[in-house]
Amino acid sequence: MSYLVRRLEFFVITLWAALTINFILPRIMPGNPAQAMIVRFHGRVSPEAVKAIEVAFGLHSHESIFQQYLEYLRNTLTGNFGTSVTFFPVPVGDVIKQGLPWTLGLVGMATIIAFVLGTLLGMLSAWRRGGFFDAVLPPVFIVISAFPYFWLGLLVLLAFALTLGWFPLGFAYDLTDSINLSWSFVGQVIWHGFLPALTIVVTSIGGWILTMRNTMITTLAEDYVKMARAKGLSPIRIMLMYAGRNAILPNLTGFAMSLGFVISGAILVEIVFNYPGLGFTLLQAVHSEDYALMQTLFLMLTSAVLVAVLAADLLTALLDPRTREQG
Amino acid sequence: MRRRDLFISSLAALALLAGACGGGSSGNNNNAQKTVGGVLTIDNESGALWQCDFNPYNGSVNGQSFGVLYEPLVYDNLLNDKKTPWLASDYQWSTDNKTLTFTIRSGVKWTDGQPFTAADVVFSFALLKQHPEADLQSDWQVIQSVIQQGDDKVAFTFNQSAVPNFYQIAGQTAIVPQHIWSAFKDPAAQVVKDPVGTGPFTMSACTGQNITYKRNPNYWQKGLPYLDTVNYPAFLDNDPANAFLAAGQAQWGGQFIPNIDTYYVAKDPKNNHYWFPPIDNINVWFNTTLAPLNNKAVRQAIAYSIDRPSVSQKGEFGYEPPGNQTGVLSPTFDSWIDKAQADTYGYKFDVAKAQGLLQQAGFTKGSSGIFQDSSGKKLSLSIINIAGYTDWVASVQVIQDNLKQVGIELKPVNLEATAYFDKLFTGNFELAYGSVNTSPGPSPYYELRNTLHSATTAAIGQTAAGDYGRYKNPALDALFDQYGGTTDPAKQHDLIKQVEKIMLEDVPVIPVTEGVAWYQYSTKDFAGWPTKDDPFAAPAPWNLPDWEVTLLHVYKKS
Repeated sequence: MSYLVRRLEFFVITLWAALTINFILPRIMPGNPAQAMIVRFHGRVSPEAVKAIEVAFGLHSHESIFQQYLEYLRNTLTGNFGTSVTFFPVPVGDVIKQGLPWTLGLVGMATIIAFVLGTLLGMLSAWRRGGFFDAVLPPVFIVISAFPYFWLGLLVLLAFALTLGWFPLGFAYDLTDSINLSWSFVGQVIWHGFLPALTIVVTSIGGWILTMRNTMITTLAEDYVKMARAKGLSPIRIMLMYAGRNAILPNLTGFAMSLGFVISGAILVEIVFNYPGLGFTLLQAVHSEDYALMQTLFLMLTSAVLVAVLAADLLTALLDPRTREQG
Repeated sequence: MRRRDLFISSLAALALLAGACGGGSSGNNNNAQKTVGGVLTIDNESGALWQCDFNPYNGSVNGQSFGVLYEPLVYDNLLNDKKTPWLASDYQWSTDNKTLTFTIRSGVKWTDGQPFTAADVVFSFALLKQHPEADLQSDWQVIQSVIQQGDDKVAFTFNQSAVPNFYQIAGQTAIVPQHIWSAFKDPAAQVVKDPVGTGPFTMSACTGQNITYKRNPNYWQKGLPYLDTVNYPAFLDNDPANAFLAAGQAQWGGQFIPNIDTYYVAKDPKNNHYWFPPIDNINVWFNTTLAPLNNKAVRQAIAYSIDRPSVSQKGEFGYEPPGNQTGVLSPTFDSWIDKAQADTYGYKFDVAKAQGLLQQAGFTKGSSGIFQDSSGKKLSLSIINIAGYTDWVASVQVIQDNLKQVGIELKPVNLEATAYFDKLFTGNFELAYGSVNTSPGPSPYYELRNTLHSATTAAIGQTAAGDYGRYKNPALDALFDQYGGTTDPAKQHDLIKQVEKIMLEDVPVIPVTEGVAWYQYSTKDFAGWPTKDDPFAAPAPWNLPDWEVTLLHVYKKS
């Protein structure tokens, strides 16, 4: 119980620190949203328009920074995230709603697939140490994950979409379609999401395989595994329930962390495949010095990571009794 | 969009590695009859998903509505100042050029069936007066009043002669329906989901990914438009947009494509074309409040130290042509250039001339090969630039090399864009590389005025709308002010020639290259595009409201 309380205390303090940094950081950046707007339009807006925009954005407020901070904390706690400057006058909540499902769907699914597949493959290659799997898989995927994502993404796009024409050149569904719940729409989403998901899985799976394999090898030398073998348990059972269950702990923490980062999307994936997710929105918010949007996205990101880490801690405590004991 | 990080544009390089894919070509059929139909797709990096807001008075979304949905009073062609009556069937300046009277076109209907009237025009301008944040063109800086006269006339009175403001007021201001907009309390921040306009298209569907425009069958220009449907997808970045265009999935492009001949044209040499008309100057700006940049001879010397054709070739791949010291865009505004005067000065890369000028100004060449003044201070200058614009960074490297040959040290400071603009606008630089960032206009007056008129500048540390170099010349200001008071083209040309004279003699800025409107088009299925020989509209999809005029001309080949 006290373990739980300690974890929660830590959670609250970290969250407050994150909120405060989140407020300060954008305001230290040079320039202001209206100037950033000129950058975004590549100089295609006139200074007159910028002046008009500044007034519309309410940039000339005379509140002290401390008042703004209190206002910010209150708004954050009440879920009032303000208006996006980039997508003026759309509320931040609506901007996020537009991108969130696509990011969660694409990056979330890809992360889960990579984790499950990577962990299983890691387990297998440790089980058959020195075998074909072990000799080929980890090195191949480590090399692939060292490729710059941008390069790999472009290459895949060029080969399968532009040259062969098997997959579409970007977007989350057919251009002229609108979101609906038909099978053909689901098919479109899968077809459009395949290449981006594939590249995420291929580039991230190496880490899971390697961590799992290495921990598993240590675990396989443990006495309880020898004991299990001596008892004559089936190899599958030993692999999954004895060695695997104990070896998975480091990977699980890593998985929780990476789930938290799903919110930030995969900026490069979204740029390369012109995918309408949150990662690009975040990048754009930073470029446009869109304080409200930036703050909300970073807040979601930090909260998601914190929650995920908390969940991983609790899960670890459940799986591994040692962590529950007082040191 | 204009220029982009070439690192990001590596798809083109990969395409070269993989070899160009084949593209089908069909025969050119110039005599085809123009019939209604066809689905055209626009390809333009928007950098964001669509928010499906069709408010022409919101500067961040008006690019999707002004033109095809809402129209101006007069269409004023950005490239040649040719004026075509649009929602106004006629207009008349008073003799003192302080009153402008429009005759409002009859028989025009809003897309909801209501008639368009002079009252709508008066209402639109009254709205902008009441809500300055919606007045994107600052029309009310010069307008005194807008009054309806009789049934179909609207008179604008100005507090000064306002001839050049015609472009903004008649050509760049959208007219909205009173019966809908009178209910909007905050017009700039109003989200308009169901736009009602007078334009040739209506918005039929919008998602974050794509906007679909459908032909307005009751459009006031009978028989137009030819196109049935226009799709406008949202592209987050150049690369996917370029791939989409090169794959033939879109027909009308408006962004930078590296190696365009290989990447785009070669895919279908018969049908894939481009044309890049210059629309602004990329300058070297001097902070004229600092020594030695306040010395005319030093500025002239630097102007003779830059090899403009070489900058254009090495820095801009030849896509952006070299600029000239008159500051008048060529070939866009060739008829305004005083060739004889420009030849007298003959600004070109001339090491001996530049060194002579510096010696006359009291500089001597030090042992390091760099000139120094009488106190021994080296002629060493910093130049701010945008790190993300790799073409500009390359251009400044060429300039740096040129200046070194003369004996001037140039130190590039490549900044993140927001930091760069902050320094540029507040005058916190020695030299700066870049354009004036104001909306261009249909004659050299607009850019030159915004670059040089002291009314656009501000004290160092304050944000200047133009004239970032803090250049002050009352004689020059007077020339611009006189231009504002005349509708006589001969007199206007004469005034601009006097401005050119000051540009050549005083060198307040150095135009190095000319920024262009990126424009690619495919004639495979569609014809009627604007071309170099028939520049009926500024050709990029982001030229407002010119894109409407392009979409009125383009038709599907049968």
